[in-house]
Amino acid sequence: MYYSSRKVFWLVAVWLLGSTTFIYAQTAGKSSGAITGVVLDSDKQAPLVGVSIIHSGTTNGAITDVDGKFTINVQRLPVVLSFSFIGYKKQEVTVNDFSKPISVSLSEDLSFLNEVVVTGYTVQQNKSISGAITKIGFSEANTNQTDQDFLKLLQGKATGAQITATSGTPGGGVSFVIRGNNSIGGSVSPLYVVDGVFLNTTLPVTGGGGNLLSNPLADINPADIESITLLKDANATAIYGSQGSNGVVVVTTKRGKRNTASKINLSVKQGWANPVNKFKSATGPQTGELLNETWVNTAQANNESLAAYLTREKPTNWDIVYPFKTGEGSPDFGRDNIANLPTYDRISDIFQTAATSDYQLSVSGGNATSNHYIGLGYAKQESTVKPNTFQRFSARLNYDNNVTAKLKLGTSYNVVRTERAKVRNNDNDPGGIINSAIFPRSFLPIYDDNGNYLNHATFNNHNRLIEHLDNSYVTWRNTVNLYGEYTFLPELKFRSSASFDFTNNGSRSFSDFSISTNGAASTSNSLIQVYTAEQLLTYVKTFKGKHDVNVLLGNTVNVQQSQGINATGSNFIFDVLREVSSGAVTTGSSSRSENRLVSFFGKAAYTYNDRFTADFSIRGDGSSRFGQNVRWGYFPAGGLSWNLGEEKFIQNLNVFDAVKLRGSFGYSGNQNGIGNYDALAIWNANSQGYLDQPGISPGRLANPDLTWETTQQTNLGLDFSVFRNRLNISLDVYRKYTTNGLQSVTVPSRSGYSAAIRNYSEISNKGIELSVESRNVNTTDLRWTTEFNISANRNRIEKIPQEQTFGATNRGTSILREGYPVNSFFLYKQLEVDRETGNAVYDDVDQNGMITYADRQILGSANPSFTGGLTNTVTYKGFDLNVFFYFTQGNKLLNMHDFFLVHGGIQNGIGFDANQLARWQKPGDVTDIPKMTRYTLNPTVNNSPANNYTGQVANLSSRYLEDGSFLRLRNVALGYTLPRSIVSALKLTRVKATLSATNLWTLTSYKGLDPEVSAQSTDQNTAGYDWATVPQSRTFEVILNITF
Amino acid sequence: MKAKLNIPFIRPLLFASVIWLGSCESFLDLKPTNSLLATNAVYDAATARALVNSAYTNLKGYSNSTAITLGVLPADNVFFAGSQSQNIELDNNAFTVTNSAIVGAFRSNYTLINITNWAISEIPKVRDEAFAAGEQSKLLGEAYFIRAFSYFTLARSWGGVQLQLAPTTDLTSLGSIKRSTLEDTYKQVLSDLAKAEELLPADDNTTRNKIQRATVRAVRAKVYLYTKQYQQAEAEATAVISNPKYELVKPYSAFSQSPYLTKESVFELSATTNNTGTSGSSWFPASGTPRGSYEFRPTNELINLLNNAAKGGSRKVLIATRGTDIYGNLYRTVSPNLDPAYVLRIAELYLIRAEARAGKASPDLAGAIADLNAVRGRADAELFAVGNANKEAVLQAIWDERRLEFAFESDRWFDLVRSGQAEKVLGVEKNFWLFPIPQADVLADPDLGGENNPGY
Repeated sequence: MYYSSRKVFWLVAVWLLGSTTFIYAQTAGKSSGAITGVVLDSDKQAPLVGVSIIHSGTTNGAITDVDGKFTINVQRLPVVLSFSFIGYKKQEVTVNDFSKPISVSLSEDLSFLNEVVVTGYTVQQNKSISGAITKIGFSEANTNQTDQDFLKLLQGKATGAQITATSGTPGGGVSFVIRGNNSIGGSVSPLYVVDGVFLNTTLPVTGGGGNLLSNPLADINPADIESITLLKDANATAIYGSQGSNGVVVVTTKRGKRNTASKINLSVKQGWANPVNKFKSATGPQTGELLNETWVNTAQANNESLAAYLTREKPTNWDIVYPFKTGEGSPDFGRDNIANLPTYDRISDIFQTAATSDYQLSVSGGNATSNHYIGLGYAKQESTVKPNTFQRFSARLNYDNNVTAKLKLGTSYNVVRTERAKVRNNDNDPGGIINSAIFPRSFLPIYDDNGNYLNHATFNNHNRLIEHLDNSYVTWRNTVNLYGEYTFLPELKFRSSASFDFTNNGSRSFSDFSISTNGAASTSNSLIQVYTAEQLLTYVKTFKGKHDVNVLLGNTVNVQQSQGINATGSNFIFDVLREVSSGAVTTGSSSRSENRLVSFFGKAAYTYNDRFTADFSIRGDGSSRFGQNVRWGYFPAGGLSWNLGEEKFIQNLNVFDAVKLRGSFGYSGNQNGIGNYDALAIWNANSQGYLDQPGISPGRLANPDLTWETTQQTNLGLDFSVFRNRLNISLDVYRKYTTNGLQSVTVPSRSGYSAAIRNYSEISNKGIELSVESRNVNTTDLRWTTEFNISANRNRIEKIPQEQTFGATNRGTSILREGYPVNSFFLYKQLEVDRETGNAVYDDVDQNGMITYADRQILGSANPSFTGGLTNTVTYKGFDLNVFFYFTQGNKLLNMHDFFLVHGGIQNGIGFDANQLARWQKPGDVTDIPKMTRYTLNPTVNNSPANNYTGQVANLSSRYLEDGSFLRLRNVALGYTLPRSIVSALKLTRVKATLSATNLWTLTSYKGLDPEVSAQSTDQNTAGYDWATVPQSRTFEVILNITF
Repeated sequence: MKAKLNIPFIRPLLFASVIWLGSCESFLDLKPTNSLLATNAVYDAATARALVNSAYTNLKGYSNSTAITLGVLPADNVFFAGSQSQNIELDNNAFTVTNSAIVGAFRSNYTLINITNWAISEIPKVRDEAFAAGEQSKLLGEAYFIRAFSYFTLARSWGGVQLQLAPTTDLTSLGSIKRSTLEDTYKQVLSDLAKAEELLPADDNTTRNKIQRATVRAVRAKVYLYTKQYQQAEAEATAVISNPKYELVKPYSAFSQSPYLTKESVFELSATTNNTGTSGSSWFPASGTPRGSYEFRPTNELINLLNNAAKGGSRKVLIATRGTDIYGNLYRTVSPNLDPAYVLRIAELYLIRAEARAGKASPDLAGAIADLNAVRGRADAELFAVGNANKEAVLQAIWDERRLEFAFESDRWFDLVRSGQAEKVLGVEKNFWLFPIPQADVLADPDLGGENNPGY
């Protein structure tokens, strides 16, 4: 930095010396003539390009060129020239003389009002924005956090965004929702736009059981990101029409700056990740004791002798009867027998200290006419649960060239290879590695006497999976934008761009004879192409110094095509031959699908005297997905803002440095979630049905009225600065109401269908968002800043066709019910465990004396009451310390781990979690875990052993529902930048070393491993499940940044 | 626009976009490449055949998995040793209104009914010379049979159900249909069977995996047994038993050997590698080859009965041992699953007739015992002593025989319910002898009046 600005300074100085003489010679002594000069940044003394100069009181103006130089012709002197530039304070200069070129220094405006924000299709100054837009600048501090995916890096940094990492798998799933769930049947994900390219968000790896295994946005290298803007309200998103209502995430990547010497950045990161907590199983003797107790209690409940019960019921498999394996006759219940049971530790086998590494090299800079940024990155992360790895290579070239004074061409080109290897479902998958380790009873051996893997009950051997998994999922992604921009007049520009996002997902996997009988291979390839052609005409002009007009007209054509092939092979002869073609039985399939979107949009804004802004935008979308009756949707929005800070009565208060009021209203839509041909009635065909003959059957009913979901949103905002711009506060309140919600409507089974997709439901969200930025201490040596944000959203289902339950593999533990938020948990409420009987007592809601379905109730939701983040940054001389907390409050989690492993003895062949040990054992015991029993008769009786773990309640008890709130020290990083003297001696520009720790500390009352989970998050209606999920890891990293 | 728009590019551009806007509608009209549009899906012989074939495919899919699960888990031959709660609930007879196996089964039957309703409504309209002689009416007969079979499954599992007899073209065409009584549901089954018999061509001597007139009569015998019309059940069973196309094969294990389709089978749904069948994967132990999940395990009681030479006889082949694991051994293929679904075996017709003969108004106990002993004799089990018979003992012996003869097929639970033994044998009170209607239907279908089966 220092190096380059010094260099620029000398360049400017030399230029000034040369040109001054020239100008002097030309202009001396004329009554009308040209004023020339240069505009510089007051701090850096670097020329400013594109500063607008207006002869006050006229429309006469000029703009500085690439060297910061300008010429303006005036009739007579003296004149007042007004200099304005985005992000800088406006300045007026009186000129009395043609003879001397003037030099004007503009100082940067620290007021938030002058911050420049990339919004939909435009760049705007904060002061003229009437919508709810949050900008997050990306810096080194953001990438200190270990996550390789920018969505996770946004968590706790932006108001209104609720971001949940669904598991601790690197490159794994993230749920990202802006201002609450708008949709039940459609998608709730925002639209992602990177440098103008609409990204496809098809998952590269999908798992079973609703498990979100991967995040396609991990394809974007966070080190390349300059800033991210979240568009949240209708005014900001209506311009994205039928894709806007879930919010829009606009990512801008780094570009070089013109007239800047090339700068080379190298960053190296090395880290070690560890699980914070591990699962705990009951030991062998404890498991034996629990089983023993189950038989005793059940026989007692049956009113029969233990011997009679066991003789009648004695299961056939040794793993179930092990503690009682004493042949016929009276079983021996001696404790010695149980105490001698061995304990096999499977859980330690699956965890590891995982290595993470990250290397980044970038070059950026520019000359007078062009600028460039080239970034290369490589990251590799291992999972703390074996054997999964994530790797990403990325290369980016951003280049802009002013071919002529009027024509500018440029590109953003990104190519990425992401590989996820040795992937195995964990979340919610009984075949997963975690489950294969935590399910088997701990007294059962892992290997037989010959060292062969042993399986127990239905579960695979965890070590077999770890050692034999052979699969990889490789994504190649090209995201490219090419644009040309022609300046007809300084105020009128036409921009045409073509972009495509081109994703190739290839996967291969082989299950050898150890994992699958006779082996199984599969390979698949899918190609997803998103093409966007975009034409934009913009007109931006200030009339008479106080009427700002900003008009945009545009058209886009968007085509998304996906096609895929898939081949499988089975019945292998040798498992050293691993390709599909070596299988005796092979299958192949292919698929193809396409959708198109044609859009026209416009936006007009008018600002009076920097005080009042009124804007209006509209977009018309025609989508191939919509039914033929409703092909075109129109989405209007408007907003007003008032810079109160410019008003005398505020200025006279002498409190505020700036105050701005914003208000907006409008409509945006959501078509994401409608399948490409969902509006059409189709029949399915099967070429190899019964006896290999072809078959056809009804597939889907027609829906010619199928269309977008509409969200109406009102937003009110207040921004203000006090204490000389050192404290900035921004407050937003909003109300959203979504109608025509896409909904899979249950239809009577007798129709032959189970559900049909309809525009039916209504859902509302309202909330409040507050963000505070404070420069607490701001001296040369010591700087301390604090950023705090908090967001609260209340979601409510206003209208649905009928209640629907989901979740936990069809157990219906999540419910959609009118008047309640989505993701509400629907369970039997356990009031207590009766101290005398040891049985669970449930809330008999309808007081009919029986426990039936009617007694299930909503007992909280997975939606937090509020979430937020707190970032403190302290720099002292060369040191900087960044401390970032994230918190979420009020969300419930269903602990499926306990659901399955605190089962009271009903699950045959399955072990126990250590929590089961706290069960009721004898009269007087106070606990919330009822006594062990397999008793199942009379399932509707309350306070009967039948409903402890099975029966009507079947484990759907509130005792598994826990508070998922937490406060987490997400990242703490301490950096040291070497003094310039040393760095210069090394012929470097900057050297910085950082120690970073991610997830160092967590405060939570949640009893599972980690509260930050969502095991079934492919479906937005089943959030808040913890089930065999890879926990977030604690990572320590050493980071070195060098600038040449 | 406030400024002059005299820029050469703009006007042609705007003009072009207006022209192009006109062509948008066709630009936005996309059709799928891999499914048929519903308008006119059944229009010729090939599509008519394909429609009926998909009814077979669905019937096979139901018979080789769901039917077995619902038939064995709630009863006493098999217990469930896995973790899926829907199966634990079935095993414990704690059926819930959201049990996914029960919900899925209910829907599968109506899906099948919708397919057959389409066939019954559309196939008569097709005019195509490519139909072989009588083929069109044969297809229609098959559709009637499959619809009857689905309603029979619904009736014995859920009681009287809503009789949906027209295809669903859109949801408004569903109309209002209340639940029928159990009696009326069986009447519908019998009426469909009668139509099927009338439409089907004469039987050939070899076909066992497609519907024949004899198949219709065999199912009718079973339906009459459920409606306790013993006279008719006996007559229908006799018609099939006397048909030389079918006989009890010996040894017992012969009917379940590849390539299957033995003379034992009256109706068997075959599997192919592309359209696979019943799997052994739930039954095989987790260690060793072929590997299974060992979730469906024979109970100790059943193992003892099958191993008892007098009772099980050669049927002890139904269980096998690997290491210390004893497992059910009727379905023996995994990846690909090539075991068929045994829908009706001639042994069942003997036992239907035995039960009908013993149960009818003037019992024919000798005839009943003869039929029972035909099955026992084939299995090399001890014959039932002819001398000291009373009606109850004979009936009990027949029911006990069914338990062993069809140990892992899909009837045990329904037999316990039908014979009124479910409470005595399993301790399940009568309210839970029928499965619950899915909660989703109770909520979505006003015709159900918000009511489920008693007890739920």
